[in-house]
Amino acid sequence: MNKLEFLTRLRNSLERGGLNPDDINDALSYYEEVFLDAGFGNEEETAASMGSPEEVAVNILRESGIHVGGAPVMPPQRQGAPQQQGSYDNGYVPPKKKASGGAIALGVILGILTFPIWLPVLIIVVVVLFTAIIVLASLIFAIIAAAVGLIIGGIVTLFEFPALGMIALGLGLVLTGIVMLICKPAFGAAIPAMGRGIKRFCGWLAGLFKKGGKENV
Amino acid sequence: MGFSINAGLLDAMVLSIVQNNDTYGYEITQYLRRAVDISESTLYPVLRRLQKGEMLETYDKEFMGRNRRYYRITTKGNDSLEEYREEWRNHKKKIDSILLNEGAENHEQA
Repeated sequence: MNKLEFLTRLRNSLERGGLNPDDINDALSYYEEVFLDAGFGNEEETAASMGSPEEVAVNILRESGIHVGGAPVMPPQRQGAPQQQGSYDNGYVPPKKKASGGAIALGVILGILTFPIWLPVLIIVVVVLFTAIIVLASLIFAIIAAAVGLIIGGIVTLFEFPALGMIALGLGLVLTGIVMLICKPAFGAAIPAMGRGIKRFCGWLAGLFKKGGKENV
Repeated sequence: MGFSINAGLLDAMVLSIVQNNDTYGYEITQYLRRAVDISESTLYPVLRRLQKGEMLETYDKEFMGRNRRYYRITTKGNDSLEEYREEWRNHKKKIDSILLNEGAENHEQA
């Protein structure tokens, strides 16, 4: 069980017990802190050492003067020995064993087997993203080049054909203005957005690997 | 652990830990574990009870980009801890007089 699952089940149990929202939030922030203090990557062990969230909830509810009738609230997927209830008056909860790694192994195998399908898809997505970035960059570069060219050309022409030179120089300045107008908000927004997009994509990929690429089958 | 720890004793130990130093939940549990076999989830109801009884108060302090809740003992908590300590001395003396065959009368302590 990870942190999120533990906290969600704890919240559900406390809500079912009718604890007021302030107390629920206080309890949840305490348990979240325990997870954070126990260290990243120790979520499973931390959750296991605290026992089931439903039993934790019963202790909190009891302390708040809410008596949960008889046995603790039982979740449908509860595993473990029910005869232990009530024998730990101080809220002591015996540590529980971790779930088997069978499911994880299966996921990894599936991921490897479906490798010929998802690798090309992955490559295409990466290439398309890369192309889009390049196209955008070249467009901007072209406008900048045109602006610079027109300004320099305009100055040179100014001495021979003042009218043409002024037109070219004017167009160049107009383009410069446009580039500045476009680039300031565009770069301001687009570059961080691209960064976020790529980061999210990578996170999604990592997620796929964790789930063994089942979604691509 | 062969002997069970009751709620009062746990309250007293937590007060004593917090009296030494303002500290946070996880650290209190680690301290308690030196003496008793408790899990992280045992402590929360104790802290909550002490807080509601105005023996402890909390404040948040930043730690690595998040807030950590620290506990501080109140005057009421200090008084209560002194009572607990006195009670414990008496209790311990009585138990020792039987368990360790020590004469209760010969063990006068301050």
